[in-house]
Amino acid sequence: MAQPARSSRIGEPVRRKEDLRLITGAGCFSDDVSLPGQAYAVMVRSPHAHARLRSIDAGKALTVPGVIAVLTGHDLLADGLKPIPHRPFSPHPADIPLANTDGTPMFTAPHHALVIDKVRHVGEALAMVIAETIAAAKDGAEAVEVDYELLPAVANTAAAARPDAPRLFENARSNVCLDAEAGDGKATAAAFACAAHVVRFETWIPRVTGVPMEPRAAVGAYDASIGHYTLHAGTSGAWRTKMDLAIMLGVAEDAVRVVTRDVGGHFGTRGMLYAEFALVVWAARRAGRPVKWTCERHEAFATDYQGRDLVVEAELALDKDGRFLAMRGSNISNAGGHTTNFSPLRKGVEIMSTIYRVPAAHFRARGIVSNTAPTRPYRSSGRPEVIYVMERLIDLAARQCGFDRVELRRRNLVTAAEMPYTNPFGMIYDSGDYPGVMEKALTLGDWAGFPARRAEARARGKCRGIGVANYVDTASGVPRERAEMTVHPDGTVDVIIGTVSTGQGHETSFAQLVTEWLGVPFDKVRILTGDTEFVRFGGGTHSGRGMRLASIVIWGASRKIIEKGKRIAALLLECEPGTVEFRDGLFARPGAGRTVSLFDVARGARDLLDLSQDLRGPLAAIADETVSVAQFPYGCQVAEVEIDPELGTLEIVRYTAVDDVGRAVNPAIIHGQVHGGIAQGVGQALLEQCYYDPDTGQLLSGSFMDYAMPRADNFPFFNTEYVEIPSPTHPLGMRPAGEGGTAPALGVMINAIADALSEFGVRHVEMPATPERIWRAIREARGSAGERRR
Amino acid sequence: MYDFSYHKPASLDEAASLISGRDDVKLLAGGMSLIPALKLRLATYSDLVDLGAIDALKGIRREGNTLVIGAMTPHAEVVASAEVERAIPALAELAGGIGDPLVRNRGTMGGSIANADPAADYPASVLGLAATVVTNRREIAADQFFLGLFETALKPGEIITAVRFPIPEAAAYCKFPQPASRFALAGVFVAKTAGGVRVAVTGAGPSVFRFKEAEAALAKKFDPAALDGIEVRPDGLNSDIHASAEYRASCVVVLARRAVMKAREAGAR
Repeated sequence: MAQPARSSRIGEPVRRKEDLRLITGAGCFSDDVSLPGQAYAVMVRSPHAHARLRSIDAGKALTVPGVIAVLTGHDLLADGLKPIPHRPFSPHPADIPLANTDGTPMFTAPHHALVIDKVRHVGEALAMVIAETIAAAKDGAEAVEVDYELLPAVANTAAAARPDAPRLFENARSNVCLDAEAGDGKATAAAFACAAHVVRFETWIPRVTGVPMEPRAAVGAYDASIGHYTLHAGTSGAWRTKMDLAIMLGVAEDAVRVVTRDVGGHFGTRGMLYAEFALVVWAARRAGRPVKWTCERHEAFATDYQGRDLVVEAELALDKDGRFLAMRGSNISNAGGHTTNFSPLRKGVEIMSTIYRVPAAHFRARGIVSNTAPTRPYRSSGRPEVIYVMERLIDLAARQCGFDRVELRRRNLVTAAEMPYTNPFGMIYDSGDYPGVMEKALTLGDWAGFPARRAEARARGKCRGIGVANYVDTASGVPRERAEMTVHPDGTVDVIIGTVSTGQGHETSFAQLVTEWLGVPFDKVRILTGDTEFVRFGGGTHSGRGMRLASIVIWGASRKIIEKGKRIAALLLECEPGTVEFRDGLFARPGAGRTVSLFDVARGARDLLDLSQDLRGPLAAIADETVSVAQFPYGCQVAEVEIDPELGTLEIVRYTAVDDVGRAVNPAIIHGQVHGGIAQGVGQALLEQCYYDPDTGQLLSGSFMDYAMPRADNFPFFNTEYVEIPSPTHPLGMRPAGEGGTAPALGVMINAIADALSEFGVRHVEMPATPERIWRAIREARGSAGERRR
Repeated sequence: MYDFSYHKPASLDEAASLISGRDDVKLLAGGMSLIPALKLRLATYSDLVDLGAIDALKGIRREGNTLVIGAMTPHAEVVASAEVERAIPALAELAGGIGDPLVRNRGTMGGSIANADPAADYPASVLGLAATVVTNRREIAADQFFLGLFETALKPGEIITAVRFPIPEAAAYCKFPQPASRFALAGVFVAKTAGGVRVAVTGAGPSVFRFKEAEAALAKKFDPAALDGIEVRPDGLNSDIHASAEYRASCVVVLARRAVMKAREAGAR
């Protein structure tokens, strides 16, 4: 920021107040927490993807100097630890239900924190060694002898879905846990029957992983005198972790405290309790002292919850003028080695038609398991996958049927006049100017000037391509959030909220809300979060719900404080409460020129002896709201690439994004979210993949040497702008801005690449679009062109 | 990391005596490959002998038509050296593309070539420039030095002290970084010397190797066009999740052509 913010209210690009702490190493991340007398845990992990666990012999390990204990799955069962309480679908009324077409219940199986009888993915923990030092624990872990009976493994999504695939769960009929349908099959078939054009696209959106900069770590403690557990760990919201931990431990909620301080990245990766979190608190009880575990990067690659991994077959039907008539197909989502989460399957299939007018649609939606790490929602859960499919279908349709790609989009985008719009799966989009935002992005990205840039690139031997992609995102997630706000006589305001910042800058943006609504100095607002000792409820950070719900509950609590404050101010100002006005932190008696500040009122609430009972005590308020409607942020991206046709290497030369955020609280944070989101989406499109050997289930991308992260030099300077069309389903008009960077990035990149390679006749390049894939696409297209000439 | 004894001798002789006759002792140069391997418990040694305090192993100097670089010279010094820039700018550029600033300030030339990682950059320059590897016992020509995957002609107890680079008429290095590690997925070093043209390839095979068909063609005419129609056979080349042998073979020819072009441009300046 070259310019300091003019003020610290809503709409100002206020510099993040947490940054000085974080960039000078003064943050407190999970591994920064150490407790007196702590022991260290190291996990014994399976090198095999699929194996029956015959026996574990800890005899030698227990003789290793410094080793205190070796705990196994049987110890865990003996102590009554319950499985991780996964919820395959997050409960939100705006999302459509998915259920087995044949009426049987969806298959789920318990996921224990340590393997009981069978290993289902490489890296799964079989035993935990507790020792005086990490080195001793590692020595102990190496000395644990495990007898495996190896089983055939299946890692590939399409292969795992086949009936003859090696089966992960003996009590299941196959690896397909959920086989559902969405949409209207009959209407879709009828529409396809009279279509002028049908375009088909088959693809796989590969597995990626979140790679937070801060690896996981956890310290568990147990107070035997009162039977109380404490977990220090990075989470997306301590409260839900506490509730899940209480379930696993089989204890009352008040017997568990979870503390989360700074968190170095989430992206969905930290969205669910991890086995190790439960293990350290359990081990602390067993060992009689705190136990700490720190994940190493190679463990993170193998055992962090991963994302995406969707196989899609899709068809789009168009009439002769290019109007979309219907779409149909099949989605298969890979949950990995346990039935952890099928939410991305649903979040995807319910908006297969994305932002376009598609009168009829029908999809089969299958959720499967395979011998890979478990998956869960990852930045914009399910949406980037289907947006990519739709945007590819449109470009393929344009090419196949001779339409202009932009014109085809113009013709089929849902317009503002059609809002609220019910899509063919039953999702109701609230509002927006989809065509207007696309036009703005095309203008900013200078779509019209592209031919000249392509010609110039060609003179340098480069193939230049341009792509466009529109997105709509359904922000739902946990619908309830709570804020507890206290105005202190010392001139500070505390806000307790259940949503932890995992990089989004809540200490700044939430404080801006309070500054706006209560007129108090920005520096005097403290956002308190991440400790269930004082956070009584919280949904956590996910699904674009941080600012979206925080704004609602902070607004609610602010209004209550103002109302209560007016009654106290009336006593101080000697007037009727109904006549008191509140503005910029001051209560005023009209006409009299007398004012008292919010903090004077807080002091009055504490000190006045003649207050009625309901006004006495701290000037505080609680807002606890359940928001049952989803919000629908949307936007458009335009990207340009230059490809070196000899090597297949690619450079992104222009990147434009326009998002409708409804109402911007902190533009700098919004742009930062979009930049990071783009990098994450482009990372998947070009670089990243959790590469499992299809035959053995071995992870071949288990370190930064092989898992290709996007870096600054992979990108140009981004051209990002936003519009503010208030959302009618949010009381303050806001739309989430955290996932829009990612949602269209996959589609826009592959569209730009396919455009760059169109001169060779290349139709498509699968993700990640590596240089070799691009080189092969050119070579094969040239080869087949040669064939045709002969 | 397992426990080990750590030594930091002040002289080459002392270092040599510490490792003499023992195969569980390892020399520690910059530690950019060894330390991660130790931390991951992929390697274990009873003793590490740190060469960092031996001044005789450091420094860059010109001796007539030869550039001598001490084995313990970090990459960053090669990058910043005016002597290197004058004599063999391609070598400075190559060093500037190794790893990141942290690696370049710790990692050393001697450590890199002793490790002989198949995707390391320095081996391409050593072989491409027909350098001589100087040890505490003898001098080894580059053509005899690199034997295979992580395998060199170094004998037990032998310590690299310096590398002697003959100064070429023109040289250039073209590297295709592997997207994750940014080691060379393929890298080609081309040098035109009084004795002929040499083309060394790293990253593509189990060890750095000479692309002799290209050398023969370029000896006739040092021009990218001289490589038209010349191919590398993919047999025996590396194949992994980042690139197949076939693709690497194609990249080698493209990179060789570009390196020739770059060397010619550098020579013309």
